[in-house]
Amino acid sequence: MTEAGGSKVLRGRISGWLLILMLLLLWEISGILSQAQSWPPFHSVIAATAKGLASGELLGVLLGTLGRMAAGFCIGGVLGVVAGLILGMDRRLAAAFTPLLEGLRPLPIPAIVPPLILFLGIDDALKIAVVAIAVFFPVLVNTLGGVQSIDWVLLQTARTFGKSRTVTMSRVVAPAVLPSILAGLRIALSLAFVTTIVAEMIAGSGGIGYFIIETQYAMRPDQMYAAVICLAAAGYALNWLFIRLEGRAIRWHRLSDTVPS
Amino acid sequence: MRSSAAPLWLGLVPIGALIVLWEAISGFRIVNPTLLPPLTQVLPVVSHIVLSGEILEPLSQTLAIMAAGYLIGCGIGCGLGLLMGWNRAIYDLFDPLVEIIRPIPKAALLPPLFLFLGMGLATKLVIVALAAFFPVLINTIQAVRGVSPVAIGTGRTLGFSSVKILFRIVLPFSLPMILAGMRISLALALILVVLAEMLVDSRGIGYVILDMQRSFKIRDMYAWIIILGVLGMLLNAAFEVVEKRLVPWRTR
Repeated sequence: MTEAGGSKVLRGRISGWLLILMLLLLWEISGILSQAQSWPPFHSVIAATAKGLASGELLGVLLGTLGRMAAGFCIGGVLGVVAGLILGMDRRLAAAFTPLLEGLRPLPIPAIVPPLILFLGIDDALKIAVVAIAVFFPVLVNTLGGVQSIDWVLLQTARTFGKSRTVTMSRVVAPAVLPSILAGLRIALSLAFVTTIVAEMIAGSGGIGYFIIETQYAMRPDQMYAAVICLAAAGYALNWLFIRLEGRAIRWHRLSDTVPS
Repeated sequence: MRSSAAPLWLGLVPIGALIVLWEAISGFRIVNPTLLPPLTQVLPVVSHIVLSGEILEPLSQTLAIMAAGYLIGCGIGCGLGLLMGWNRAIYDLFDPLVEIIRPIPKAALLPPLFLFLGMGLATKLVIVALAAFFPVLINTIQAVRGVSPVAIGTGRTLGFSSVKILFRIVLPFSLPMILAGMRISLALALILVVLAEMLVDSRGIGYVILDMQRSFKIRDMYAWIIILGVLGMLLNAAFEVVEKRLVPWRTR
């Protein structure tokens, strides 16, 4: 955010930015020279991006996708946290459900879209459901892991001091579990983003996933690349936003800085 | 005091409950049984598909593309990751590009690939390789950077060449984390190959599932989904076996 930080990054990786610049230049020149309809020069992609955003067409499509994603993310996230907390309360309960969860998890998400279409059609309900299902599992698994890793001594200490259930929950359990939940939500967020787009591509109705397919079939590659650029920007923004929120929620636990050993 | 290992049968209870629930939902027509046929009607279809050999063509198609794309993506990711983690100049050169491309959902790159590589084999291979590439790359870079300087210094003291240090010290040290990246990549590769099959051409398990749904052969659709789920489980299990062989010193 700070000016100094930004310029430091820029200076340190000057060769990297030059590489990107050269690739873009190559794109521009080859696009102008090739004349092929499928390979528009970079400037026309930028123009299409600006036009699509200004006219609201691209922006509307993108916002629709993000809205469905948010709905599915919230539903799946809440259900995942609740299920994880419930399973985490009892070791035998967790052990009982582990085989079922491990059995359902390896099924790749695109495969659940066709059967869900039978029940929910191809519109918003379908995409929200698919995203919620995709989000549910990593959030559940992380929440469960967090609950199970709570220091037993801490719980006993709270009990020894005669703390009430509410105090124990808010002062001992929540701080211990929150980092794991947020780690799960962060994995789930990028998963939700991909899943929304995948569902839109398969179901073939609305959203930026469908827009990309549609513009490819209609041979409007400048608009297609514009949509891909918007997706990259949205993905970047989502990740940035989540890291900021996460930093606020768990100041004592700088999760994003820890390097796995 | 607490029994750490819950009895094995306990895990069968929720699975059994789910199967009974499934049977009941379609048996009592809570949901239209045409859309959700009971499991007892789906399983015979599964066994028919497996026993008649119908399974072979789509399964081999999916597995071959997935294996090839996965290995290409992991190989390049690991190689570039070693170089980027090892050499600061190479890292500076590629890092901004990686950071720009990484947040794009790989599924969104399918349509641009259609334009260049057509709707066939090449597109499917490239998209699977792309999906597998990034987690392996990121994990490899971090792993190489986390290798203890003492270990590298020891190698230097013993007069190892840089290449020898890279392959005899850095690579073994990094292996557990590289494999962790490859595990993420495995799941992504399966997702992308199924998606590509649904969008691209008339082959593979992904295509069959969508085709059965469109031609309203609902039992076959569920049967193929079960087959795909089992395939995912077997791939995970196989990965774990390989992981234990390669890094036996790492206790999970």
